[in-house]
Amino acid sequence: MKALQWQGVNKLAVGEVPDPEIRNPGDIIVKVTRTVTCGSDLHLIGGYIPFMEKGDVLGHEFVGEVVEVGSDVRNHRVGDRVVVSSFIACGKCYFCAQELFSLCDNGNTNPAITETLWGQAPGGCFGYSHAMGGNPGSHAQYIRVPFADVGAFIVPEAVTDERALFASDSASTGWMGADLGGVRPGDVVAVWGAGAVGQMAARAAVLLGADRVIVIDRYENRLGQAEKFAGAEPLNYEHTDVEAELRERSGGRGPDVCIEAVGMEAHTPGAQFLYDQVKQQLRLQTDRPAAVRDAIHACRKGGSVFVLGVYAGFVDKFPLGALMNKGLTVRGAQMHGQRYIPMLLDRMARGELVTEHLATHTMPLADAPAGYRMFKDKEDDCVRAVFLPN
Amino acid sequence: MRLMTRAVLVTAVTAALGGTTYRVVARRRSASAPSSGRRHVITVQRPFDEIAEVLPEPLSAYHGALDVQLRAAPADRGTEISARALNDTVSDGDIRRLLRESRSLLEVGDVLQPGGPTSTPTALNAPLRAATRHGREGGLL
Repeated sequence: MKALQWQGVNKLAVGEVPDPEIRNPGDIIVKVTRTVTCGSDLHLIGGYIPFMEKGDVLGHEFVGEVVEVGSDVRNHRVGDRVVVSSFIACGKCYFCAQELFSLCDNGNTNPAITETLWGQAPGGCFGYSHAMGGNPGSHAQYIRVPFADVGAFIVPEAVTDERALFASDSASTGWMGADLGGVRPGDVVAVWGAGAVGQMAARAAVLLGADRVIVIDRYENRLGQAEKFAGAEPLNYEHTDVEAELRERSGGRGPDVCIEAVGMEAHTPGAQFLYDQVKQQLRLQTDRPAAVRDAIHACRKGGSVFVLGVYAGFVDKFPLGALMNKGLTVRGAQMHGQRYIPMLLDRMARGELVTEHLATHTMPLADAPAGYRMFKDKEDDCVRAVFLPN
Repeated sequence: MRLMTRAVLVTAVTAALGGTTYRVVARRRSASAPSSGRRHVITVQRPFDEIAEVLPEPLSAYHGALDVQLRAAPADRGTEISARALNDTVSDGDIRRLLRESRSLLEVGDVLQPGGPTSTPTALNAPLRAATRHGREGGLL
């Protein structure tokens, strides 16, 4: 079958790979109908997460049709239209029982790398390096989905593929940031990053009853989408002093909840960006944490900061003093999709959560390398590039 | 509720090695380092009483080469399984893999298999491929 393969740092190509097959009785095989780029893929493509092999298939956010089921699968039949959580979880371990699905004990076939790096291993993920299990990704005509009864969800008739696609990762990640960040009615919420995940976090905060939701970015088209589709207030950090603006819009308190949806390749104006770039390129830090620094500094005393952006290792100039002295709660997580996808699909069916606008560019899988270039460089106001493998 | 102090020695350390068991143990990869003698522990999300009766095959196959102990985890968090090598036939990596596979069998009834390979061996990714081949043996467990 055809698949988009990582061929080296900043090198992608569509090539032939073996068809996936049932390997565990809980597996299904899905014919991918839509699969989408994610900002976190750029960390893999750029070599910032050095656990890729030449030929690995990318992609972790997708919808498709079930074409084969394993003998233990109970919830799915051939022909089902399904959206699949990007993280692979067994549904039976302690962490799954706590609905912390991305921390699954049994979903990563290669726990040694992350356990050594981080002390404990999270679960596995589709198309996200050998540190996350080396599972072939969704930018392919077909994909094997392990633990399908836990991680694959039938898409309601009222929800199109175009909309359901983003329940797979962006919407569930964004919702998690607002939920586990503790957004409550009346809160002021600030979201760094107006990409798909940031917009979904903002929309979640609005739906959870936040009084004001402010989204920070530098791309006017993305800020415009956040305003129009999430009901958020846009803030362009290239045009204003973000922290002063946030203070002003929150009665001088600072936002109650700050959600970071940027990740390890953050851009900022001024010397901080240069400093972080140099340190990252010299491998003196692995990640550029500018948005996390800003979120911690801006957050109100006793507030909450949730880190949704993907980080791999170590950062410099982390504002531990502000965190400690302001009594902040800082949390982060990979997405616990299984916890949120059914609810998100219901909201999508009711029209509370729309996502189609995120798919600014749709193209055949054969054009995926060009799609990633557009996505990375934000060409033609690209927010997300969606691929059609079949 | 079971207390942490409730510990049971499940596998008698002096049990005679069966022929099958010995072959399994003897297949130890030459790359595996000898055991440090440290006890490796995991917690399984299954009640103590269920597990104590029959150990899963990965661990029972090493009967006599491992000292395996079970005890109820606090606050109904399942069962702690710890294992330590009794001789040089089992490495730390073997024990980690056995514990991880046992946990998966006990919790899920199956051990997740990796996806089919789509990648190409290169000089650059040789260390990663080597690490991945032993993915359940490494780490800190």
